[in-house]
Order: sequence, then C-alpha cells, then structure tokens
Amino acid sequence: MNKIKYAPAALSLAALALTLAQPAQAVVPAAKIQAMLAKPPIMCGRFDQTKNLAGMKKPLASEGRFCVVAGKGVLWRTLKPFPSTLRLTRDEIVNYQGDRVAMRLDARTEPTVRVINNVLFSLLAGDLGQLDTLFDGEGSVDANSWNVSLKPRQAALEKAIGTIKLEGGSYVKSIVMNEAGGDRTTIVFSAIQTGEGAMSKEEAALF
Amino acid sequence: MTRTRQLALLWLLAVCLLLGHNVYLWAVKRIAPDTDIMALLPVQERDPVLQASFSHMVDAAQQRLIVLVGADDWQSATRAADAYSAVLAVRKDIFAATPIGEQTQSDWLALFQQHRLTLLTAQQEAQLRDQPSQFWLDAALARLYAPFGGPKLGAWQDDPFGLFAGWVQERAQETPVRPRDGHLFVADGARQYVLLPLTLKVPALSMTAQDTVLPLLRQAGDAARKATPKVELIEAGVILHAASASGKASAEASTIGIGSLLGIIVLMWFVFHSFKPISLILLSIGIGFLGALSVCWMLFGHVHLMTLVFGASLIGVAQDYGIYFLCNRLSADEKTDSPALLKRLLPGLSLTLLAAVIGYMGLGLTPFPGLRQMAVFSALGLVFAWLTVVFWFPLLIGGRSLNSGGLVRAYGAALQRWPLLRFNRATLVAAVVFVLAAGYGIGRLGANDDIRLLQNPPKHLIDDQIKLSRLLDAPTPVQYFLVRGDSAEMVLQREEQIKARLDSLIAAKRLSGYQAVSNWVPSARTQAARRALVEQKLLAADGPLQGVAAQAGEDAQWIAATRDGLLAAATPLTLDAFLASPASEPWRHLWLGESQDAGGRVVASIVALRGLSGAAAPQVLMAAEGLDGVQWVDKVAEISSVLGRYRAYMSWVVAGAYLVVFALLFRRYRSRTWRVLAPTALASLATLALLGYGGQQLQLFHVLALMLLLGVGVDYGIFMQEHPDRRDHTPWLAVGMSAANTILSFGLLGLSATPALQAFGLTMLLGTALVWLIVPCFASHPPERTHD
Repeated sequence: MNKIKYAPAALSLAALALTLAQPAQAVVPAAKIQAMLAKPPIMCGRFDQTKNLAGMKKPLASEGRFCVVAGKGVLWRTLKPFPSTLRLTRDEIVNYQGDRVAMRLDARTEPTVRVINNVLFSLLAGDLGQLDTLFDGEGSVDANSWNVSLKPRQAALEKAIGTIKLEGGSYVKSIVMNEAGGDRTTIVFSAIQTGEGAMSKEEAALF
Repeated sequence: MTRTRQLALLWLLAVCLLLGHNVYLWAVKRIAPDTDIMALLPVQERDPVLQASFSHMVDAAQQRLIVLVGADDWQSATRAADAYSAVLAVRKDIFAATPIGEQTQSDWLALFQQHRLTLLTAQQEAQLRDQPSQFWLDAALARLYAPFGGPKLGAWQDDPFGLFAGWVQERAQETPVRPRDGHLFVADGARQYVLLPLTLKVPALSMTAQDTVLPLLRQAGDAARKATPKVELIEAGVILHAASASGKASAEASTIGIGSLLGIIVLMWFVFHSFKPISLILLSIGIGFLGALSVCWMLFGHVHLMTLVFGASLIGVAQDYGIYFLCNRLSADEKTDSPALLKRLLPGLSLTLLAAVIGYMGLGLTPFPGLRQMAVFSALGLVFAWLTVVFWFPLLIGGRSLNSGGLVRAYGAALQRWPLLRFNRATLVAAVVFVLAAGYGIGRLGANDDIRLLQNPPKHLIDDQIKLSRLLDAPTPVQYFLVRGDSAEMVLQREEQIKARLDSLIAAKRLSGYQAVSNWVPSARTQAARRALVEQKLLAADGPLQGVAAQAGEDAQWIAATRDGLLAAATPLTLDAFLASPASEPWRHLWLGESQDAGGRVVASIVALRGLSGAAAPQVLMAAEGLDGVQWVDKVAEISSVLGRYRAYMSWVVAGAYLVVFALLFRRYRSRTWRVLAPTALASLATLALLGYGGQQLQLFHVLALMLLLGVGVDYGIFMQEHPDRRDHTPWLAVGMSAANTILSFGLLGLSATPALQAFGLTMLLGTALVWLIVPCFASHPPERTHD
C-alpha cells in the first residue's frame, strides 16, 4: 500500500494554501479603478526598483524594462546593475542569467506558478477583480488617480509576500511590497508604451 | 447397551457445551474472522528487525485510505472533492481526515529554519567544493536585485545564497503533491486531482469496519459525481483490498458449503429415500464444524476467514464416517443391532480418521500460521464429526430405518463390470502405458511460486493502485533497503552511503528518488562537514560576502553581523528534535529506532525507493554490495521463495505421510496394505500428469491438495478393503457417495477466483474422481473366483 507524503512547497510568492475565500465586502472601489485603467493588449515600459533590505543601511537600486502581454504573460528584464531576465508565462517561470537558465519552475508540477503568475499579471495590469480572491484591500479614488493597499487573506501568502500597495491612474504607477522578514521593495513604472511597436524584437523573441 | 447410552449422554453434554460456547462467541462476543491475507504468510524466521521493518511499513500504510478526485479543471475537481469529503466528515468516529491547515507550512519550516546553515543538498555541497567565490557572489547579487527572486524564505539576509531555499525545494520534490487553495493538488497531463488522505480509526482488516466504510465511500463517490458528473475517482487502501478479499472468500465459503450440503441432501435422498439419514449426516458435520471453531478459538484466540473457507471444503471428508455407517446399516442384516454393527465397523472407521488426521497434521508442519490453523481446524472438525457418528448413530438408527432405492442397485451392479487388476500381461501393458503417460505429463509441469497467487484483487483496484502510484510517485512498501547500526548516527551515515550510490542510479533513470530520514536530518558528521564548508567558502572575511558588501556600500561590520546572523542557525539538527516535530509525521515510519537482535542493541531505518521498476530492481539491489549494515529487502521475492521452499518441503511431507499411513495400516491389513494406498498414490500421479498436460504451473497449493487427497483416498481404500467380497456393494456405495460429494464441493472450489484455491480445488476434483475410478481395481481377489 502506498504511503502518501506531502511536504508543502515553499516559494516566495507561493501561496501555500490559498483558499478561495468568499470575497469579502470589498472596500476597494474596484469598479471605478477598472474603469480608469487602460487595458492594452501589449504594454511595455521602464521600471526602477529600490530594495530596502533588513540589515542594510542603503537601498539597492536597479532598473530595467518590463512587458505585459495580455493572455501571454510578463517579461521582466533587469538591465542594471546586473542583467537578468525573468519570464512568466502560463506554464512556467524561467529566470535567465545572460543566456543561462538559472531557474525554471513548471506549472504542471508547481501549481503555485499559476498563482504567482496570476498575482503578478493582475498587479501589473491593475486587475483588481482577480486579486480580490486572494487579498483584502482598501483604497481610494479621485479624479484621475487611485491607490490600493492589499493584504493577503492567507497567513501563508502574507508570510511569503507581505502587504502590497499599488498606485496608478490609467496605468499602474508604482508597487510597494513590504515583506514579513523586513525587506521592502518599491517599483516605479515609467515611459509606458502600448501597441505592437512597444516590444523590441528581442523581447518578442523571448516570448 | 447402557454403556452405549452413557457415552451418548456424555457426548450430548460435550455438544451442549460446544453449542453454548458458539452461541457466546457469535452472539455475545460478536466475533468476526480475520481477513488479513498477510496473517496467512510465514513469519520471517531468525531476523526480528527485518520482520519489524516490514510490519512497520505495512502498519503505517494499513490504516490509510487515499482518494484522488480528478477532473479536467481544478474548480470541478475541488467541487467534487468537497462533496466527497462532506459525506465522510460527519463520521468522525470512522475517518480522521488529515487537515491541511495554513499553519502546516510555517510549523513545518520553523524547525529547519533554526538549523538552516547545516542543511545542504548534495548538489549544493558539490558546488561549494568546486565553484569559485565569484559564483556565490553572483548568486547572492542576483537574489539581491531580483524582483521576485525565485524561491525565498524570509529576508534576504537569512539566506543570502539561496542555499536553504534550494534545500527546501529539494525536499518538496520528494512528492509531486502540492497544497493549493486549501486542498492537496496533484496532476498529470490530462487531469487535475485533489488528494484526500484519510486515516481510518477502525481496523482496516475487520469485516465489520469494512461493512461500514465501503458503503460510506460509495455514498461519497455518488456525491462527488453529483457535483461534477465527469469526475474521476481513484481510491486505494488496504481496506479496499481486504474487503474485496473477504467478500470473495465469504462468497466462496458459502458456495462450497451450500453446494456440498445440497449435494449431500440430493444424493442421500436418492439412496435412502428418507430425511432421517440426511439430517444425521448434517448433524455430524455441523457438530464437527462448530466444535472445530470453538476449540480453534480457544487455541488461537482468532479464526481466519480462509480457515473457514477451507473448513467448508472439509464437509467433503467429514461426511465419510456417517455415510460409511449408513451404507453398512443399509446392507446389514436387520437383526444385527446398531451398536454391534458399529463394533464391527470401528477398526476401519478408526483407521480412516487416523489417516485423515495424519494427513492434516502434515499441513500443520508448515510455517504458515494460516495453514497451521487450517490443519488444526480440519483435524478437530473430523474428530468431532467422527465422535458424533460413533456415539450417536447406533442409538439413532435402528435396524429397520433405512431402505434403498433403485439407483443404488444399478450403481452396485456396475461394480461387477469393473476391471480387476491381476498379475497378467494386460496389467503390465497398462502399467507401462501409465508410467510413460504420467511421466511425460509430470515432466511438463512447470512451477510457479508467485505470492500473487494468494491474492487476486479485482482489476479495478489494481488499475487504481497503479494509477495512484504513478501520479504520486510513491515508494513501494515491499522493496526497500533496511539499514542497521549500533547507533542512530551510524545508521544515518550508512543511509548516506547507500544514497550516494543510489544517486548515480537516479541519474541513469533507474529510479526516480528515495525517501530516508537522513534526507531531513543528515548525520552529525555530514552536518559538521557542511557547516565547515559553508564557513570556509561563504562566510570567510574575504569571501563572497565581501563582494556583496562592496556592491551594497556596506562595511566590515555589516559582513560580521550578517555572518553572525547566519551562524546563529548553524547548530546541528538532531534526530530527536526532528522526530518530535510535526514536520516528521510523514516520514516517521522510516525510522525503526532501537531494538534488540541476536547481536545486542541495534538501531534500524528504512530507505524507501520511488519509481523503481521491476526491471531495474536487480541493478538497484546491487547498490548495497559491500556496504556494512545495509540490506536489500524484497518482501514479494522473499515470500515467493518461501512458497517455493515449502512446495518442495511439503512434497516430502506428502511422501512421508504415505509411509506413516502405510505403517499404520500394516498392522491390520498386512500384505494387502499396498492395495489400500495404491489407488490414492496412482490417482495423485495421474492428477499431476493431467495438470501438466493442462499447462498448469505447480504451486504449493497443488501439493497441499495432494496431502488432503491422501486423507480422502485412504478412506475409500479402507472401505473397500474392509469388505473384500466384490458381491458386497456396501463399500462401493459409501465410496461413491463420499466421492460424489467431495467432487461437488471441491469442484466448486475449482471455480474460485483466487488462483491458490482454484489449484487446490482442481487437484482435489481430479484426484478424488480418479481414486473413485481406480479403487475397485485394487480390490483383493474375491474368495470365490468369478471367471469373466
């Protein structure tokens, strides 16, 4: 007879036991925000990331380009100080260091890949309806900008990614993640382009 | 006369006691027979640790029930799984579902996090030895700047090089099962499944428990199908196999029992045209059966279901005594009173009982606890039936109570036309032909000692089992490495030695993985070595941390602080701490702990293998070559080899039993003794030959049947020799009735779906029929020669 073992997989964004809780009464004015957001099929731009790590005096800055392709996934290219590419598609997460695949996670074996992907895609696209199942949130909206802070409904997910703050107008402008371990990551988006021309050839080739 | 009455009354008292005990057992104690097939198998002699390891593996698995609820999409699968669980959730008295709390994850990690610096994968260890400092600097910087940098547990400074995250990931790889949305998830290319691990609170091997659990599972399955019509349910667990085995065995026992009883009733009706003898025979069999059950229960404290199945076939033998008496009563002079008749029959009757009991005791010589119990049960049943005939029949059957029908006369007349063997040319030719034909047939017999012959679960259970093993990549519980040593540390070190060898087999795709306690708690030696390696390669003042500091604009103080923070988690993880934490729950069965064996104190553990195919097993078992204290255990092969050994051994026991019975009979029959035994011996040889022609593989159960055939066949031989005159049809009638019944009951056993029982039944069927046909040929020369 078989013995069954299960050891919970542990991944940073891995939501370990994400119950599809009943959406609580959302205090996030999601509908208004959704109405404000442009949802282009392709959107690329520049990001500037600052990390404040526990035990470090200075923030660590990096920059690069990102692309979000509706229905495909997300491409995250860090250019400075160290080139590194992260590609998130429906079925896998791949991390390239130069041409070398440094890490690959397959959604078939790690269902959390889909969760991570889903969360990220929703964050970058500002799709709050998707996020509602995983996060409690509160937010406010004025004439042409909005902000939301999200707290994972699940303790396990909170342990992994902490709380998330989003700000934006017709696009997401910034994301701040406060991790439980004390590390904080701030990402600011700029120079956003949409449409076919937004992606460079090499970026398109990576998808 | 009065003595006859006294004995009858005494026996009545004994029977009343037996009946009382039976009523108490069934009605008050509510006993249920064992159905565990494993209980029938021989216990491992000489090696208690090995035996313990196996029962440990089996016990751990026995109470588990695994259900996979699959659908094309996750939502449908969870909906169906929830419906399934909801049905079982109300029966907290039966199922202890394994909760998958949110806390599982953090509790699980907490212990390892405290000792993370000493936990490395083999690959990380190799990289630490081989890779330059730059490699680690790159790794740390990549993690430093990564937005969502791969797997990460806690803050960057707790695991700057990602070593602990890598180790945890490797541990997670030990199973394809993942938590997802509060369920356990596993998938293949086609479907997604929710895994429901259930633990039974009722003993899986008890039939009462099975009768409660199986309908509940059916209800749960219906509920799941209602929620998701196209749901796929895969269920696996010992209880399912046990239930199917016990269901089948009960059905077979009742088929054989009812079949033989009906046979007896019909035959007796034709012979005696009255119900009195029928009820008397049934009485003797009934008392035999109940008496055997009572005494067996007192001796063993339990009775196995297979014993009862086998016991049901006993009817075929237990009836002989009553039939013999009745047939003689039928043909005896009406003036002879029954007690006097019994006196005349007693020598023959005693010999038949003795011969049968000797035959059964041969079964008792095997190390199979199940067979021993069957042997004792059968011998007791015969003794009780026999005593009933001897004490009661003379009183209950008067000189005038029996009349025979026309069928009896016709059958009796057939005896006159039977060939009689004499020392002449025809006999010689027949003998030569028989020797050649039988020799050729027996020469064609193969042998098969596969344990699977004992158990033949329905196909859907096997399919589910295979599918489940494939999906879960679970280790096999019957093939593993047993590791022993003087101390826990030694055992962990030896586990690591065998694992290092298995790693190359995994690389060669012979295995997909292994499970061992040392995966979680490396030996102290290994932990110390790894810690030293980490300190030397990663934490040195001029190591990669310096590069990180330079990049991040930190100073030596920061390096020292980070280093100290890491070293705080460098105390070795101890086995005791691991075994005490909830994280070890799924792996505890691999640790056998301390026990005593011949050599004194011994600590033992199991290294279980995943994805081992039968073809790879010979290569895998070589991995233990030359490693002290590491032993390959293959329960299937071991049991099969035991079955084979006992097949050979029992063949000798059968031969020996012939000699013992011969010696026993010799005092009474002298020069005619061979005539009593020859029909049975020839029939046994002919049966083997027929099995050979039929392409059957010889197994232990054929041989056991030959043992029983000796008990039956000798009865017929004795009946015939007791009445050497061919014009006396009495023994011929007794033999005919007994044989017809035995053939009927064992013929039904020959239809059994369990290969072992089928072999047994078929051998008995052929053998009994042949003895019946051969026995008249060996009658002594009648006093007055009839020239025909």
